[in-house]
Amino acid sequence: MHAIEVSHLSKQFGTLTALDDISFSVAEGETFGFLGPNGAGKTTTIRILTGISTPSAGTATIFGKDIIRETIATRKQMGIVPETSNIYDDLTGWQNLMFTAELYTVGKNEREKRGRELLELFGLSERRNNKVHDFSKGMKRRLTLAMGLINDPRLLFLDEPTSGLDVQSNLIIRDVIRDLNARGVTVFLTTHNIEEANLTCDRVAIINRGRIAAIDSPERLKKTIQSVQSIEVAFDSAAAGRIEDLKQIPKVSEVRKEGDKFRLFTEDPSSVIAAIMEYAKTNNSRVLSISTFGPSLEDVFIKLTGLEIRTKGVSTVE
Amino acid sequence: MNEVARIHGQLYAELHAAWAIAKKDIAIYYLKPNIIVSGALFPLFMFLAFAVGKPAGPSVMIPGLIAITILFSASSIEPVSIPIERRMKTFDRLVSAPISLNAVVLGESLSGFLYSSGIAFVPFIAGMLIFGTQILSFLPLVTGVILTAFCFATMGTLFAAYPTESPGDIMSMLNMIRLPLIFISGVFIPIESIPSIGRIAVYFSPLTYGNDLIQAAYLGNTHFNPLIDVAMLCVFILVFQIIADRLYKKFNT
Ligand SMILES: Nc1ncnc2c1ncn2[C@@H]1O[C@H](COP(=O)(O)OP(=O)(O)OP(=O)(O)O)[C@@H](O)[C@H]1O
Ligand SMILES: [Mg+2]
Repeated sequence: MHAIEVSHLSKQFGTLTALDDISFSVAEGETFGFLGPNGAGKTTTIRILTGISTPSAGTATIFGKDIIRETIATRKQMGIVPETSNIYDDLTGWQNLMFTAELYTVGKNEREKRGRELLELFGLSERRNNKVHDFSKGMKRRLTLAMGLINDPRLLFLDEPTSGLDVQSNLIIRDVIRDLNARGVTVFLTTHNIEEANLTCDRVAIINRGRIAAIDSPERLKKTIQSVQSIEVAFDSAAAGRIEDLKQIPKVSEVRKEGDKFRLFTEDPSSVIAAIMEYAKTNNSRVLSISTFGPSLEDVFIKLTGLEIRTKGVSTVE
Repeated sequence: MNEVARIHGQLYAELHAAWAIAKKDIAIYYLKPNIIVSGALFPLFMFLAFAVGKPAGPSVMIPGLIAITILFSASSIEPVSIPIERRMKTFDRLVSAPISLNAVVLGESLSGFLYSSGIAFVPFIAGMLIFGTQILSFLPLVTGVILTAFCFATMGTLFAAYPTESPGDIMSMLNMIRLPLIFISGVFIPIESIPSIGRIAVYFSPLTYGNDLIQAAYLGNTHFNPLIDVAMLCVFILVFQIIADRLYKKFNT
């Protein structure tokens, strides 16, 4: 049985199509990432899968149960961490946790035990009796995660769990996700941080404008676009018009200047390396370093979402 | 048997969650200044504005004051708390919990009900201490206060279904209903002396029945049969609950 099974799901907001006929499934125990730019439809998908919002068409099941027909039964198995940390500023960290536990009918002994463990896990024990009002953004985020785990869910939804957080909060949250995964909990997370998807997810769906552009493991996604292997090269001296010269090399599809280095994209790294060496020789400059890179998930993302133009504009400033 | 156990379990979960929601409201909102103003001071101003100087004696005025105090206090928690929770996104936590919207509505109403039942003591005690008003029978008083408070608390939750993040929007809609209710419910103007055009409206106001019951405790007689009063208040509670559930469903997609 799949943890999540989505079939031909669509969502209209008036004339705007937020989700356009998406289908995918998530296996039990998997950490599945939804990677997409702003407005792609990530939050909309989570809101439908948690029964807050209803789809315009299509179906979704959680552990085999239809989310619309059996909303309450499906929700009992999930933890939800929404995009905005939705906690009560006027309550303490502890009160927030206990309130959520009561919404999920977690018994008194159980909720107090889990509450203490979770506060410890998220490094919030010392502040448990402080009003959340005084918490930092990262602390609020960690508390929201603790609240999402208070009912010991089989499936956890995380809407941009680490966006805008410092390294410490980030690491705690990433560790917790790995831990959950090891315990067999299914995790569905959304992010626009490619590195996060690469590091934490078993599989990633790339979503853009309400459509899924690709679904696969981060490694396999990278393999799909061999054309974006790249070579990074640094010369001992700067020379005017070098970027134009490098673009003339056969089989080079694109050249970007990145700091004091150049990155050349190609399908055929070996012939391009030879050409670069040749070029250096004829121009009396030395190659300080040269290395080749496989495609990154970022490249896949850029390729599939068509966000290339913007990125190019940023990184070719000379 | 299994099915019975499941339904029983879910019912327990719903009531447990509703009570948790009410406790949360009590902890957070009861002492908010705007709730104190609209829930406790406003009815007093209304009373001073409309009742003082009328020839009726305290045994008419005090039950009237209790009735409008309940009207305003019961329906003033949720119209403030729910828009704030929409803005803070904590409302999503309630509507994504494994409970029905009916339980959310009930929990929210429960907090208004408790608040109002507490505030209703103020005019009650004031009546006894200042005017020496006598209670002829406690049963209609207690029943009247409980049902009226629950009825208007549910009405407040119903109005708060309107999907806004600003309490003011809901308060102004609510006042378009609450203010006229005072005049068509026999609170300060006896039902008998309401002109016949307004007479129909009297029957559609829950405050009519609530006020009638509370008055009975002070005057010993009712305009309607007390059982009718109780039945009508129960009908209003049920209707408000059903409409509120529908509205939250409708606005929550
Ligand atoms: N309640 C709503 N009413 C109207 N349009 C909406 C609503 N919710 C979302 N949308 C629209 O649907 C589209 C998808 O939004 P969604 O919030 O799912 O994006 P997202 O991928 O989560 O983006 P972000 O990374 O910015 O959080 C957007 O164009 C958004 O404006
Ligand atoms: Mg989003």
